[in-house]
Amino acid sequence: MDEKERRKRLASLPFAEKLKILEKLRDRSRVIATAGLRKARVRHEREPLDDVTSKS
Amino acid sequence: MKATLEMINRMQADGVIGKYAIGGAVAATFYLEPSATEDVDIFVMLPPTPGSSLLSLSPIYEYLTARGCRVAGERIVVADWPMQLLAPHGALEQEALDDAVETEVEGVRTWVLRAEHLVAIALQTGRAKDYARIVQFLEQDAVDADKLKRVLMRHGLVPKWERFEHKYLEE
Repeated sequence: MDEKERRKRLASLPFAEKLKILEKLRDRSRVIATAGLRKARVRHEREPLDDVTSKS
Repeated sequence: MKATLEMINRMQADGVIGKYAIGGAVAATFYLEPSATEDVDIFVMLPPTPGSSLLSLSPIYEYLTARGCRVAGERIVVADWPMQLLAPHGALEQEALDDAVETEVEGVRTWVLRAEHLVAIALQTGRAKDYARIVQFLEQDAVDADKLKRVLMRHGLVPKWERFEHKYLEE
């Protein structure tokens, strides 16, 4: 199925079904955002300020 | 979303808000394929505050927070959906709200702005993501060209539309 067909098929779904897809997309982006924050926090905890400055 | 709409309908039945309609990306999803969004925009008529000519969103926030909803910046989270409440600003948004389409989500009655109004509001707002949405509506033949033209004419948006066409639609 080409991209245009896929979009057309998705657009023709009932509104309630499309809203369920929206909810999945929203939840997925929340997970990604949280994972990004977690990674940043872990990195920060592994490299405290003293360690970072001692490297330079 | 069903629980969110049920809460809004309850608020309407209790007289906290008047007519309302879904706008923004969630409304666009009524006509197009779903595209990711973090929140839901609700255009809402506010009953006048007794003794004041100003309209206030405070009664809505008070009503919803008393029912377990939480405020998150400019939004209020209702059943896991951050909701942005917008009083219609200007004649176009007022007309869009008056002319919203009635529909149902899992047996819950609700209203959605018409495609032509969503396009006109997107044009008026004029951010890159608004223009991208207009292109989506046009690519998917989701607007009635004559109706859109009439909306644009009524609200003085024809010159802006012509600039948009020239920049984004003419190859």
